[in-house]
Amino acid sequence: MSSFLNLFGKTPLTRRRALWGLLLIAPNTIGLFLFFGWPILQSFRLSFYEWNAFNTPRFVDIENFQRLYDDPMFRKALTNTLKLVGFVVPLEMGLSLSLALLLNQRLRGRILFRTIYFLPVVTSTVAASIVWAFVFQRRYGLMAAALEPFGYGDLNWLVDPDLVLFPIVVVTVWQRIGFDMVLFLAGLQNVPRVLHEAAMIDGANRWQRFRHVTLPMLSPTTFLILTLATISSFQIFDQVYIMTSRTIRGGVGGSARTLSLYLYESGFGQSSDYGYASAIAFILFMIILGITILQLIAQRRWVYYETESGE
Amino acid sequence: MMQKAARDIPPSYERVPIPLQVISYVLLFLGAAIMLLPFVWMVSTACKPPQELTRIPVTFIPENQVCRANLDGLYDRVPLFNRYLLNSALTTAGRTLGQLITCSLAAYGFARFKFPGRNILFALCLALLMVPLQAFIIQEFILINDLGWRDTFYALIVPGTFSAFALFLLRQAFLQIPIELEEAAMIDGANPLQILIYITLPLSVPALAAFGVITVQAAWNDFLWPLIVSYSPETRVLPVGLSFLIGQRNTPFNLLMMGSFLGTLPMLILFILLQRYFIEGISMSGVKR
Amino acid sequence: MSKSKTLVVLLLGALVISGVSLSSISTPAKAQDGGEAVITPVACAEPGELTMWVWDDNWGKIIGDSISAWEDTYCPGAEVDLQVVPWGEYWDVLTANAPTGELPDVFNMAQDRFYFYAKNDVLLNLQPYWDAAGVDTTVWGTGLVDPYRWGDNGDLYAGPVNWDTVAVFYNKDMFEAAGLELPTADWTWDDFAEAARALTNPDEDVYGAAVYMEYQAGYPNWIAATGTTPDVEAGQTRCTLQDEGSVEALNFLKGLYDEGVMPSVSIVGGSSADDVFNYWASGRVAMITGGSWKLPDALKIEDFGWDVVQLPKHPETGRSRSILHAVGYVANRQTANPDLAANLILYLVSDEGQKFFAEAGGVAPANPSPELQQMWIDSFGDTDVNVQTFVDATVDSQGVTVFGEIWDAINTEIVLNIFDLGLSVEEATQLACEFIDTQLPE
Repeated sequence: MSSFLNLFGKTPLTRRRALWGLLLIAPNTIGLFLFFGWPILQSFRLSFYEWNAFNTPRFVDIENFQRLYDDPMFRKALTNTLKLVGFVVPLEMGLSLSLALLLNQRLRGRILFRTIYFLPVVTSTVAASIVWAFVFQRRYGLMAAALEPFGYGDLNWLVDPDLVLFPIVVVTVWQRIGFDMVLFLAGLQNVPRVLHEAAMIDGANRWQRFRHVTLPMLSPTTFLILTLATISSFQIFDQVYIMTSRTIRGGVGGSARTLSLYLYESGFGQSSDYGYASAIAFILFMIILGITILQLIAQRRWVYYETESGE
Repeated sequence: MMQKAARDIPPSYERVPIPLQVISYVLLFLGAAIMLLPFVWMVSTACKPPQELTRIPVTFIPENQVCRANLDGLYDRVPLFNRYLLNSALTTAGRTLGQLITCSLAAYGFARFKFPGRNILFALCLALLMVPLQAFIIQEFILINDLGWRDTFYALIVPGTFSAFALFLLRQAFLQIPIELEEAAMIDGANPLQILIYITLPLSVPALAAFGVITVQAAWNDFLWPLIVSYSPETRVLPVGLSFLIGQRNTPFNLLMMGSFLGTLPMLILFILLQRYFIEGISMSGVKR
Repeated sequence: MSKSKTLVVLLLGALVISGVSLSSISTPAKAQDGGEAVITPVACAEPGELTMWVWDDNWGKIIGDSISAWEDTYCPGAEVDLQVVPWGEYWDVLTANAPTGELPDVFNMAQDRFYFYAKNDVLLNLQPYWDAAGVDTTVWGTGLVDPYRWGDNGDLYAGPVNWDTVAVFYNKDMFEAAGLELPTADWTWDDFAEAARALTNPDEDVYGAAVYMEYQAGYPNWIAATGTTPDVEAGQTRCTLQDEGSVEALNFLKGLYDEGVMPSVSIVGGSSADDVFNYWASGRVAMITGGSWKLPDALKIEDFGWDVVQLPKHPETGRSRSILHAVGYVANRQTANPDLAANLILYLVSDEGQKFFAEAGGVAPANPSPELQQMWIDSFGDTDVNVQTFVDATVDSQGVTVFGEIWDAINTEIVLNIFDLGLSVEEATQLACEFIDTQLPE
């Protein structure tokens, strides 16, 4: 019994704090595991079954995973997803940080600009899908008009397998940037003014203050956004749906299909291969988990917290 | 002189040299046009008669503006629009308040207390974000159905009162707050709940405003989950109610956009109201740093 | 045209007689108001509760009215909870409900989806009920109901709600400007091609035709005219896209596309029948193939005069065959009230039940009663448009034979490959058949 208590700390005070901590996290943690953890586990279990939601699940061992291994569509979806993550995450973070820095300045109309940049977050997905399909439409689209003078007016953005990922990157960044901007703006506000004042007294210029005050102080927010952006970029779904559903969902020959779209099509497509979809979800989960763990380990090198947590 | 300027004008409102200002404005205007485009189309379509919907290329200013007629048309096709709006508001309020409580408690627990399994538990919570909803929505629906919550507000609200996303967001914010103030309160005999409510949360106003905007809009726009659990107009939320306009064969885009625009307005107002707190949060809380 | 009109009357007449001669078991107390009904409803044995799903809220209103009439007249005390699930997510919601055992008792079904539900034993066999009520299931004609047959005896598992057929929508003003005579129902592929060439005007950015989009309104209609079943043989035995007729039809269309008479998918902006309809409505193309479901939208066009005409006939077979699709009412095999569910479906497909659709307009009633068909035509009001064309197109029509993932692939992939990415018909059909082969049973 006493060794069990020791788990919670060596002194009565640390034990007390440990109990408080557990008490505080209990409601959310229990709720999360009940309403999300449990269904997710159930879904992972189904990756070892053949199930189409209408039949009795049949245990097939690792057959679904073997099929995945041999499935060229899966490989293509994985490649597309990795490409998208590689393009989207740096662009999204760079642009939204720049935007937050710009709109954190004393500029005329900054409230209006902030609102405008937030608009994509609330604009209807249907409206977005129609307009973006129009922007990238061959011949009549705005993109064609813009590129016409350079001789690229007839690019087939939404059909050509070599081009189709570009509009998806654009729409993804467009949709997310306002969201990240909100987080960065809140993060920037948490940078204590005294630090900037001190740096100015020491004669630091704008760039030096950004580099040595703003960036380190902002790093917890940057880490938050980096992690979330990575997790959600691996799950890009809406944007592909938006951009490609008018011509061919997932692109010609799957040239724009992402893992989560492939998962959805497998599970909710007409053949309703839910066991297979669960196997895709499991692999996707393992990839994201691996990368997030690496990020969590790496953050100790570059993320600066005001106080070492819980010490 | 330098010191005076530094004191008077906080860095967040720093004066910007003219060339930099010009570049900023050019970039901002260009970006704004791209951000605005679909929204402008949404508003202009909401005021178009059916004949103008099929123009190629798209017209951004309708020749015949029939906003009023489309508004009436929308209420004609979706007579329970106001009811759906109310359901959305109830659901959103319930989820946001719930998350505010459960997630700020949990975020505080994870940020400031040491207990066995803390890192593993936190990582597991985070891991829940890594599985797309489509992968487990059937299992989640089975659970809700077993609880007898099919077609009830419990199904719409309760799962949404727990969030790994908000937990992560608030934990990162709490970690940025100097611990000294909390320690002082602790010495004064305040318990952790009191410290959270009177010290930590007021110091986190910018993060809370961001949390509010993001959580409210996510709940407001949530579509797939409400669609799966709700089967009667009594529990139908706005995005689901509007999706009835999207037919297999015919979609009155003007009415759909009118509905979407009306549904967007509350979010815009909320954003405009809350966005000053991203900037002025600290001074509002009255705590000097 | 008058020839085919006579044909349809004769055919419908024959169906009426066969239908009536068999329906004798139990007639309701209520007297039939004039005329002989094709399908007569029967009073329910015992009232109870049913849940029913539809995917369109307009349909929901019409079906709701007709259910109320059933509750009043044929089954007092019965209660139907009619729920509308948005079309875009209808099948997903069904899937999600399957494992909870909460599937509705009665719901709408599409022909291309039927295979999956039948194979998984989800549906109630309605054949015994048709037999008991004396309904000859051939009254509807093959295109409407054959895709809903299952099992060795070809039992009918669904009652058809409506039919959709395809015809050519053309811009009258463009025909007149080009000095062309307006097309008539006996025109051929050659006439069509000639008109399309004459109507094309690259300087004005106007195309002569766009007629390949999508399974239902697109290229399969042309394949059907050659006498070949488009895409998949009925019975799901093999891919037919490499058959002579398919290759001929696709090469005919590809030829027009190569000549610059038809726009590519990416120029139209999307691969759906709606996209090409909008393109036509914006005055950029003279002729398109479009479904009867587009009539209400087309009647709102004010910018130019237009009409519809039967699909052109294949020069050798002399046939034009429209793809026809009918939505069905099906019942859940595990319903607590199978008799009641079947009784409701019988009412909904009967002359009485279908009157609500015929009057509302827009959706053409599946019930072949000439009276109902005329009512549907009249519902479009005073118009010069030859609505009868679509009724005529039901006569020599082709039901949907594609199913499952083939539907999606056929709607977009092959069309894009040929009419956008420049693949030859041989290459594109080979790719399509390779995919179709993976989807065929065994």
